[in-house]
Amino acid sequence: MKEYLLGKIEDIPEGRGRAFKAGARTVAVFRSNGKIYAIANRCVHKGASICDGDLSDNGKVVRCPWHNWAFDLETGRHCLDRTERLRTYEVKLAGDQVILCA
Amino acid sequence: MNELGPAVELERAEAISPDPINPKIRTLEVIDTDFHFSPKWETLRGYLKEPFKSRLYHFPVGSLEYNPEPANEKPGIGQDTHGTASTGAEVIGVLDRFGTDIVIMNPGYTRPQAIFNEPVIAAIARAHNDYLIEEVFPVSERIKASMMICHRDPQMGADEIRRVGHHRQFVGVFTSFSGLFEPIGTAKYDPILDAMQEFDLVLTSHSEGWFPHFTPLWTGARTWIELFGNAPAGNCMAHLAAMIVQGMFDKYPRQKVIFQEGGYWWLPDFMLRLDDFYMSSGGDIALTERKLASGERWLHKMPSQYVLDHVRFSTQPITIPKNRKHFGWLLELCHAQDLFCFSSDWPHQTMDPANWVVENPDCIPDEMQKKLLSGNARKLYGRL
Repeated sequence: MKEYLLGKIEDIPEGRGRAFKAGARTVAVFRSNGKIYAIANRCVHKGASICDGDLSDNGKVVRCPWHNWAFDLETGRHCLDRTERLRTYEVKLAGDQVILCA
Repeated sequence: MNELGPAVELERAEAISPDPINPKIRTLEVIDTDFHFSPKWETLRGYLKEPFKSRLYHFPVGSLEYNPEPANEKPGIGQDTHGTASTGAEVIGVLDRFGTDIVIMNPGYTRPQAIFNEPVIAAIARAHNDYLIEEVFPVSERIKASMMICHRDPQMGADEIRRVGHHRQFVGVFTSFSGLFEPIGTAKYDPILDAMQEFDLVLTSHSEGWFPHFTPLWTGARTWIELFGNAPAGNCMAHLAAMIVQGMFDKYPRQKVIFQEGGYWWLPDFMLRLDDFYMSSGGDIALTERKLASGERWLHKMPSQYVLDHVRFSTQPITIPKNRKHFGWLLELCHAQDLFCFSSDWPHQTMDPANWVVENPDCIPDEMQKKLLSGNARKLYGRL
């Protein structure tokens, strides 16, 4: 596990995703209701980029842009089939800087 | 998310725009056998002949009455969830984005095959084909298509095939396996098959409009899952069975068919069941039109053999079991190595990029990946 600087919190737009390369991993980062979430970018279904997905359910769920699979941002679990899961990552704030642990 | 103290020196993560297409796809030849092209109505109208040009102000609604918006909870998007390609340049843009080398385009929801006015269908088909010839095919040799015809009137269908069949970027003829018409495969469509024999064209049989006035199989359905997730398979099987047991392939032994969006994991049961019924109760095959004309009592081969010799399946939508052994068994039981041709169905809701073909090497080894992505399509389509 290593810490990466993502930038200032205001660089991550509310309600939309951005992808970051953190070592070998590509992580989708969302700011929703003021909170930052980090989740594996590649959908386990057919490989779409989760960072291009829309948020739903009051900003708690991200929908895959290709086939609408719904993942809980907090846990990474699919909302209907709990055995399907995207990895989630810890995010910290240092002042106004966002730090990803991946 | 935790709050920490002042920032320390850390490696900065780079903001990127990830390419969702597996890099291996871009190293292999990819032929997409089902991709939907949707000319703008005003463009198509410019190619319509009178009296249709003056009277058809809008595209005739008829291909669908229900779309996935309520199911996807995405209002305003409709069927073309992933975009719309209306010009040759837009098609090439999509191909490059998805790592596709050659595309075999079908009409999008600009196809009116489900309506009953046959002259209108034929007029729109003619305009669609003329637009392709005049403005789309010249953009790139990478663009091929199945021509639109009015298959409801077989003579009209045959006339259109003979009118444009000489153009070699048409590699097939588009028909559908859902609608209130007899299955393609019955002898009433022989004029279409006769015309196809004059060219080297694959018969495409694709899923079509929804709701019960298009096909009885949808009676009572209320959800997208029933309408689109499940019902096409039954219609697809009905058309395939008609082709085989009503002697279409015996009369037209060179004809190849590709089925699209009707599924295929049902094939093992279908093939065993047709063979079993044929051996025990195939006597009425002799009473079908083609067999009455030829005086033959039986088919030339066992029913399942026609599938292997004449029929191929576009892969979209692929459903992959979580159990790896099951996926491998399904592929083997369905003869996927030889019968499956990759398709994306872009831009529709269940669109499949080619990632899955190269990301399951335990079930789809390298050589089989090449066959699925392009090799089988090259063997199928004589004009590629």
